[in-house]
Amino acid sequence: MTDTFEPKIVAFLCNWCSYAGADNAGVARMPSPANVLPIRVMCSGRVSPEMVLRAFRSGADGVLVLGCHIGDCHYISGNHRTIKRMPLLHNLLSYVGIHPDRFRLDWVSSAEAPRFAQVTQEFVEAVRALGPLAEDGW
Amino acid sequence: MREQICKLVAEKLPELAGVVALRQTAVGTAPYLFREGDDLSQLVLEPRYPLPSVVSMLQKRYPEARFGVVARGCDARALVEMAKRNQIDPERLYLVGFTCSAEQAAECYCAAPAPDTAGWPQAMVVGVPVAGAPPNPLVAQYEEMSLAERRAFWQQQFAKCIKCYGCRNICPECFCEACALEDPLWVEAGMLAPPFPMFHLVRAMHMASRCVACRQCELVCPAHIPLTVLYDLMRRDIGELLGYEPGADIAAAPPLSLTLADGMVHGQDQLL
Repeated sequence: MTDTFEPKIVAFLCNWCSYAGADNAGVARMPSPANVLPIRVMCSGRVSPEMVLRAFRSGADGVLVLGCHIGDCHYISGNHRTIKRMPLLHNLLSYVGIHPDRFRLDWVSSAEAPRFAQVTQEFVEAVRALGPLAEDGW
Repeated sequence: MREQICKLVAEKLPELAGVVALRQTAVGTAPYLFREGDDLSQLVLEPRYPLPSVVSMLQKRYPEARFGVVARGCDARALVEMAKRNQIDPERLYLVGFTCSAEQAAECYCAAPAPDTAGWPQAMVVGVPVAGAPPNPLVAQYEEMSLAERRAFWQQQFAKCIKCYGCRNICPECFCEACALEDPLWVEAGMLAPPFPMFHLVRAMHMASRCVACRQCELVCPAHIPLTVLYDLMRRDIGELLGYEPGADIAAAPPLSLTLADGMVHGQDQLL
């Protein structure tokens, strides 16, 4: 089962940095995993914990939140909220027994197409190693 | 203690529109607004009840009036967090604080049984402050539990939930008019003990930076779910990550609504 397991990954990408970075990775024909379902949001600060939790509930094996680097936010301080909120959610997930590697917050700018490919590949590999979330019992 | 509080309330009543406290009559005990001339012998301190929510309702209904409230340590902390979120006006509130007994503090794992009046415009504490009780041992044990054990523990606990919303309704910090827990987008209606605990996880996230550890939610839960274990862990994290203790300092702004310039993230350098 796990040999053929392809994880489902939901990635929340900020419109101004990470989504453009993903776009550029595609234009440059960099290999990035097809497991990732991108959801474009205007800012990583828009990603509420509820959205991440709902992604897990709806069958995602891993959730990725990518935004602009701190200091580069299109809305000046949108990602300041993200950096405070997401580590709390990260801990909460582990408190109820969801492996912390199933959730990742990272920063990818629009110029960092190789970084987008690298982050998504790393994440998919990490979640693939963990197996399906449903098998964990959640 | 009760006599001292009644005396203080009687002294203050002429200058206040009323004092919110519990009143015991033949039919039971309920929150009550004591006004001048009322029988203060009916004022009681037990059981524990979240009076801050009543204060908030009264202050909103009567925007000019000044009220008093008889408050424990947890009530005072709840009022602090409510003041920061514009749910009460501390300038229009006289805090009649009193200290829980050492036994009560131990029951609640309460670190601060006496109200902290620092920063309150008008406040008075009655009684000899008792020392804080040690924290819930379950929280310390939690670190040693494996992910599978944690999952098994909470699955068993959450399966008991009858979704009565009692934990939310009693919570002094749950005052939003539009509640995420009532939004079918996040919490499925008409489904008991759904496989994924959206209700409890969303509530735990919302309690971060708000929960003042009054433990009313656990007290009212008909299913005896140890909710405060989860909320205590969130309280610890908000302290470690954002250096914030809910309910402690009335002048400290809630960290989740601040930018990094106003309040840094501790131990998160690798993300910056």
